Amino acid sequence: MFTRPAALTLLFFILSALAPTAAAESWQHENGTLTLEDTPKRVVALNWAATEALLLLGVTPVGVADLEGYGHWVQEPALPESGVANVGTRVAPSLEAIAELEPDLIVTSAEMAPAAGLLNRIAPTYVISVYREGKDAFDQARKMLLTLGDILDRQERAEDVMADIEQTLAEQRARLAGADLPRRPVALVNFLDSRHVRIYAPNGLYQTALKALELPNAWPHAGNFWGFSVVGLETLAEHPEARLVALSPTPPGLKQTLAESPFWTYLPAVQRDQVYQMDPVWPFGGAYQVKRLAVYLTDALLAGGTDNVQ
Amino acid sequence: MSNSLASAAPYAPTLPARLPLVAAALWLTALLASAAPWLGELSPLALLQAFAGFNEDSYASVMAHFSWAPRVAMAVLIGAALGLAGAVTQQILGNPLASPTTLGVAAGSQFGVTVASLFFPGLLAWSADVPAILGGLLAIGMVIALTWRLGFSPVTVILAGLVITFFLGATNMAFLLLKGEWLGNLFIWGAGSLVQNNWQPFQDLWPRVIVLSFLMLLLMRPLQLLQLGETSARSLGAKVAWVRALALFLVVLLSATVVSRVGVIAFVGLAAPVLARLLGARTLGEKLVWSPLLGAGLLLLADTLAHWASTWGDGSLIPTGTTTALIGGPIILLALQSIRNTHHMPGQASNPPGFLPRRRSASVIAGVLLVLLAATVVISMGWSPGLEGWNWTAVTNWDDAWVWRGPRMLAAILAGVALGLAGTLIQRMTGNPMGSPEMLGISGGAALVMVVVVLSGIEAGRTVQILAATLGAAGALGLLILLARKHRFAGNQLLLGGLALYVFMDAGLRLVMAAGGTQASKLLNWMYGSTWLISETEALSLMTVIFAISTVLAIIVRPLTILPLGDVSASSLGLPVARARLALLLLAAVLTAAATVVIGPLSFVGLIAPHLARVLGQQTVGRQLIVAGLVGGVLLALADYLSRIVVYPNQLPAGLLAALVGGLYFLWGLSRHGKA
Repeated sequence: MFTRPAALTLLFFILSALAPTAAAESWQHENGTLTLEDTPKRVVALNWAATEALLLLGVTPVGVADLEGYGHWVQEPALPESGVANVGTRVAPSLEAIAELEPDLIVTSAEMAPAAGLLNRIAPTYVISVYREGKDAFDQARKMLLTLGDILDRQERAEDVMADIEQTLAEQRARLAGADLPRRPVALVNFLDSRHVRIYAPNGLYQTALKALELPNAWPHAGNFWGFSVVGLETLAEHPEARLVALSPTPPGLKQTLAESPFWTYLPAVQRDQVYQMDPVWPFGGAYQVKRLAVYLTDALLAGGTDNVQ
Repeated sequence: MSNSLASAAPYAPTLPARLPLVAAALWLTALLASAAPWLGELSPLALLQAFAGFNEDSYASVMAHFSWAPRVAMAVLIGAALGLAGAVTQQILGNPLASPTTLGVAAGSQFGVTVASLFFPGLLAWSADVPAILGGLLAIGMVIALTWRLGFSPVTVILAGLVITFFLGATNMAFLLLKGEWLGNLFIWGAGSLVQNNWQPFQDLWPRVIVLSFLMLLLMRPLQLLQLGETSARSLGAKVAWVRALALFLVVLLSATVVSRVGVIAFVGLAAPVLARLLGARTLGEKLVWSPLLGAGLLLLADTLAHWASTWGDGSLIPTGTTTALIGGPIILLALQSIRNTHHMPGQASNPPGFLPRRRSASVIAGVLLVLLAATVVISMGWSPGLEGWNWTAVTNWDDAWVWRGPRMLAAILAGVALGLAGTLIQRMTGNPMGSPEMLGISGGAALVMVVVVLSGIEAGRTVQILAATLGAAGALGLLILLARKHRFAGNQLLLGGLALYVFMDAGLRLVMAAGGTQASKLLNWMYGSTWLISETEALSLMTVIFAISTVLAIIVRPLTILPLGDVSASSLGLPVARARLALLLLAAVLTAAATVVIGPLSFVGLIAPHLARVLGQQTVGRQLIVAGLVGGVLLALADYLSRIVVYPNQLPAGLLAALVGGLYFLWGLSRHGKA
């Protein structure tokens, strides 16, 4: 009777359930359940937020999507110079390249849902989206960091990273409160050309930084789930009370064009010399970017404003 | 050609009253709608004065002068310019589906701006116009160079223009997908936005538009002679070619000048002349007067809608390119009613002159293609880059390699075959060389549903993707059958209907693009074919569908040989015309839908493959079908291979490479054939 395969399988399951070995652990995620026997050693990250989280935990991924772009746009936390493979773009990574790395964990977001089946054939996949309709980006980023800490057996380090971020935010708030600055709402913009800006809405990662610094956001509308809206420059005029923070880099020739534009010179923020220039931060990353945002924003506001972008 | 005789009658019928009435109503509505939001803050007189100056004490007045007034002026100027350019293009090429965009202007300009943004940002800072205009000229230069030897026969110009459009368009998309973060401005530019905060762009633009329009009007008389038809105009001698070249050059210069400032404003150049014709503009003079007037009114209305929509929502920009598409679509649908003769537009030759290559043996060509296909399969399975560099996979290891390389290749080949077959069916049925599954709107319908899915924020898994594409294709097909039933499933009506659907899809695409972010990249990836997502099961079920349809096709190939002869002769040969058309349409649609799921709606294999089959010397229907199917298969197999190796480990969508590879080969065939 015990020669029948079904019975054998049953027996196996009973035994493995009772066995006091390194018990398989399970985590619920956006696309099902992740079950792991051992702590993963070879991890592949398919977006920059996941790459950032792994690096914060002190785990160097074996492969990441868009390696070069990460170095250019996200910068910190930095990837090591060598030893990390590029597996392709973030929207369409090379499955063959991922398979060649023989990972034991893949971290990705729900954006990769159409490839979920194929990815699972390569390795167990943990799916979490920092940016998602109806979710708070910072909450999601924190959840990702802590869960990955749990999966990779680095819980303490994850807690430390979060504590460090919270502490930095508090420090920056104190710096701002100490300075005698006008209490005005802030509009954070990225110039796309001389006619359009990307404005950061009250539902993105920037908002977390603004809230921590106790600065109101001048832009009242919700943006897309990445937390921004693309608007015409003239929309800024609808918020005369705002201080304007422009993120570097600005398009070439913009400063000149704006200086010659009567509309720009009539903008209340420009007339009050309240245009601030802020160092670039990748605004669509994970929890660590909030820390950088808060520091750079505080630096920019303390450095003082002018009547044009730099 | 009784139609061309009628339109060339020395005494044109008097202008119908509805033309000025509709134009006036359009302008009035647009102006009022545009002014309405301001009337709460400023008096009508003060608003009018905003065009001249402003009152420093009133912020509303400053805003009206620097934001509203220049935007209105820009819309009118650009709408008129595009309307004129469109009317002239349709006149030169004698095809109601032609517009400056189909000459490659928009794609060329975008190419110019893309290259400048990535490699010469200094140039862009110095002058935003120069790269766009150079790009537009590059596109038309390529078109003219390719068709010079063929004396710019309209059909070859249109084909070359379309292929250049797809070719440069695909290149632009490749840049956007690989370097999207560096090209944030391009996403807006590609969607078209008339937002202004300054009078400078308008002041730069208007003298250029006036001069170019004046030069174009000087060509009116020679153009009018062209309308008499190829034969009579030929008595002018070689001048025909020169007049066409000059007029095309001016059209492109005008469109590119306009586009350089505001981005790609879609469909005004197409819709304005169509509307003018629909409302009764018959003579060339009437078309040249009313198309710009209607174009200006249309763009102003569309831009006002865009502005309103932006303020209604969460304030984020609705690009004008979206609303022009939303207005352009219905106009094209309306035009369906007005075009009565089924197969031939004035000036649209049934047999493109000089476009009948030497016949070649079908079995030899098919044999060569099969060998090519086999070679592609072997190389694709065996010779691939890995993280450690290039290497051969031994045949014994192919079952491992198959997992990542096989299903996608198989699906690509099948999709290529399907599109080649569908394209031949549609071109044969409509007798229009611009006809293709893409133009029929089936793939446009599939894409439209996908765009809606992305816009609504649903996280689509694989099943949802496939369901959405199938649903969209089926919906578009149903709509087309409804539309076409009225017209006994005749050629150009179907193409116009399909074009309208494509226009709606385009509107959504522009909206997604302007919003930026990874949404756009994701959508573009799908639109150009995500073969990398194909699983074994999907590839195998596709195979079943394609085999079944090919069998049916083999049985009913006869009607196709008779249909292009015209309704009367086809009927007299005992063919139930309407039913035959419906059956063929259904087959073409199912083939297209199946292929679209795999390769997306924008590969243009369906356009290129049948033409390549002709260039390869296959004239009869059966042979053209077989060769076009094989060409499609080889093309997409090659495209799929290239898509995963050229920028490894990055991947480009296979449809995009098909447009590049097929486009290159097609251009080569066209130019080589020109020499013969």
